[in-house]
Amino acid sequence: MSAPVSSTATEALREDTPVEKPPRGTPWWANQRVGLLLLVVLLSALFGVLRPAFFNQQLVVFPLLRDIAMFTVVGLAQLCVLSIGHMNLAVGRMAAFSMMITGISYDLWHFTLYSGLLVGLVAGTAIGALAGWVIARTGVNSFVVTLALDFLLLGMIPLVYTSLTENAAFVTKPPGMRELRNFSLADVCIGNVCGSPAVPQLAIFAVIAMAVVGWIYARTRLGRELLMTGSSVRAAELSGIPTARRVIIAHAMSGCLAALAGFMLAVSTGSIKATIGEEFMLPSFLGPILGGTLLAGGFVSIWGTLLGTALTTVIRKGLDLLGVGLESLNIYLGLILLAALSTDRIRTLLSDRQAVASSSPPPPPKAAGSQEGER
Amino acid sequence: MKRFVRSTEMTLLVIGLVFFVGLVIASGGDLLAANSIRVLLQFLAVPVLIGLAQMVVLAVGQLNLAVGAIGGFAAAAMGVLMADHGVPVPLALLIGFLLAGAAGLLNGVLVVLTRINGFIVTLATMTILLGVQYRLVGTRTVDAYPQGLKTFGSAALFGVVPWIFVVALIVAALLALLLKRTVPGRQLLASGGNPIAARLSGISNDRSVIVAHALSGAILGVAAILTVASSPGVNKSIGGDWLLPSFAAPIIGGALLTGGSAVVLGTVLAAFIVRFVDTARAEFSLEPSWVNFVVGAVVLGSVVLGQVRARRQERRAVVKAPDAAVAGGVS
Repeated sequence: MSAPVSSTATEALREDTPVEKPPRGTPWWANQRVGLLLLVVLLSALFGVLRPAFFNQQLVVFPLLRDIAMFTVVGLAQLCVLSIGHMNLAVGRMAAFSMMITGISYDLWHFTLYSGLLVGLVAGTAIGALAGWVIARTGVNSFVVTLALDFLLLGMIPLVYTSLTENAAFVTKPPGMRELRNFSLADVCIGNVCGSPAVPQLAIFAVIAMAVVGWIYARTRLGRELLMTGSSVRAAELSGIPTARRVIIAHAMSGCLAALAGFMLAVSTGSIKATIGEEFMLPSFLGPILGGTLLAGGFVSIWGTLLGTALTTVIRKGLDLLGVGLESLNIYLGLILLAALSTDRIRTLLSDRQAVASSSPPPPPKAAGSQEGER
Repeated sequence: MKRFVRSTEMTLLVIGLVFFVGLVIASGGDLLAANSIRVLLQFLAVPVLIGLAQMVVLAVGQLNLAVGAIGGFAAAAMGVLMADHGVPVPLALLIGFLLAGAAGLLNGVLVVLTRINGFIVTLATMTILLGVQYRLVGTRTVDAYPQGLKTFGSAALFGVVPWIFVVALIVAALLALLLKRTVPGRQLLASGGNPIAARLSGISNDRSVIVAHALSGAILGVAAILTVASSPGVNKSIGGDWLLPSFAAPIIGGALLTGGSAVVLGTVLAAFIVRFVDTARAEFSLEPSWVNFVVGAVVLGSVVLGQVRARRQERRAVVKAPDAAVAGGVS
């Protein structure tokens, strides 16, 4: 009697083996980033052929790159918490909160552009750290804590705006803000060589953010420890990593990057208002997830985040140029997202099969169910 | 009975009662007038249902980010069918209800088939359905549907209890019965509580996930019907503000995000408390933002309190059974 039971048991466990795994040792065509890059290039070419205006430097490429830069930073903000297997649902509201502080610093204290940004980054870091502290201290799911924080900020921010401003927006604009919005690399010259007029100066912030976050995860001990905390909190704890502190740091980083994204949005729209960051939540997940970052934690991809963000932004812009109305845009975006993720799964399956066929033994079944890993 | 006294539901009941009595005193007794109570309950029907729709998927350990999109899409479909195509009311409502159920079913099937995290799947379906809803109604407000439906939406039993609230309570009762007393309901909870154990005892986790998502869609279909009946018209913003309350009610009500808990009563009571907060805001004519602020604080407070209580109970259990604690420490 015991034999059939145990065989079904192993089968049951094997079926639950997590399908998501870091693409290490997989063939190049199964690499998510390569596929994404190809897709972005092909789609850009397609849109360019259909509508030559797609390559208009001032009117299309410039705002497109500005959007990609901003949403990449938003994606990085989510990536930091995804790396430890958490979520930050308040990513948009954290941006709004820090921009509120920045707005106050411009309006009431007459700060310069960059000192205001610094104040905002500190505020974002603080609110992120607060979320992390509550999570680490109480052990409550990050989803719930950031959801509640989202509610709190959603209620608090408009109250502050209505009490401090007249039109629910901070109108004082420090010198340099308008220039930062409109200037491209063409305005930066080294000798006679100037940059491309298509690349906005705002994109520099995204490059810096990517470099710093990439350096942290690839080169520093902190990054390694964050990823280990994401893979298995227990194992990390047993190997002497102060996981509670790492949770706080990850959320603080997320808040800081959210603040930077909020600043980029404020500069590119030219106003600091309570609605900043409202549309951040969806893209913040799209970029990293499409790029191969695991929801379960333990693996991040900075380049993937950029490419995933680029893909969705290019699709959005291209469909917009093709005259697809706003109403249908969401339908296509959702369908493409589902298709991209499904093909990804097919690709993983195929490369797994190939790996099996080339005589390497199948991976041992892991005890944790896939549903467990998904949480 | 003793267990009930210590439960989250009891706490919520006491808090709700205290809150209500405070509100009655603050309003000088105006709140007890038949009309005030009717309005109070009128706007409670839909929040109860969306909370339950989220609770069902939480029970199986999943999330449904598409609650607002499914509800809004179904409501838009009903409105357009009745107003633009002259479909009779019962048929239009039935079609809308089935569409919502089908959308939920689709969520479940996609989660099971693709093995993509439910969070991402419902995020994608939410985006798609929002697009469909916008395409259906555009920027207009559809309100040219038969008066009979609107009459039902504002009618009340004895002039006090709105019929739509009665419908919501019936759905809640049916759901409680389903989860507590029927085989599929128990299987659903088992899958949510411990997927591996459920599978080893011959329960199909995949089926549980699909059932939970389909149920969620069906409940949202009812919510959409009540919305169409009780609101002056259907437009693209319906369902847009459902997502956060849908999580607030079950979480305040004591649902576990990890699955396995069925807290129908808790969800209903939590919806009451959120409604009281809204009533209080109207009573003291504060800004609408205060509601979100207070609800956020309550959600955070209730989960932290729950955690503290669980820890204290653990400690008490340890003190009562020192041997077990030692054994646990050794292993």
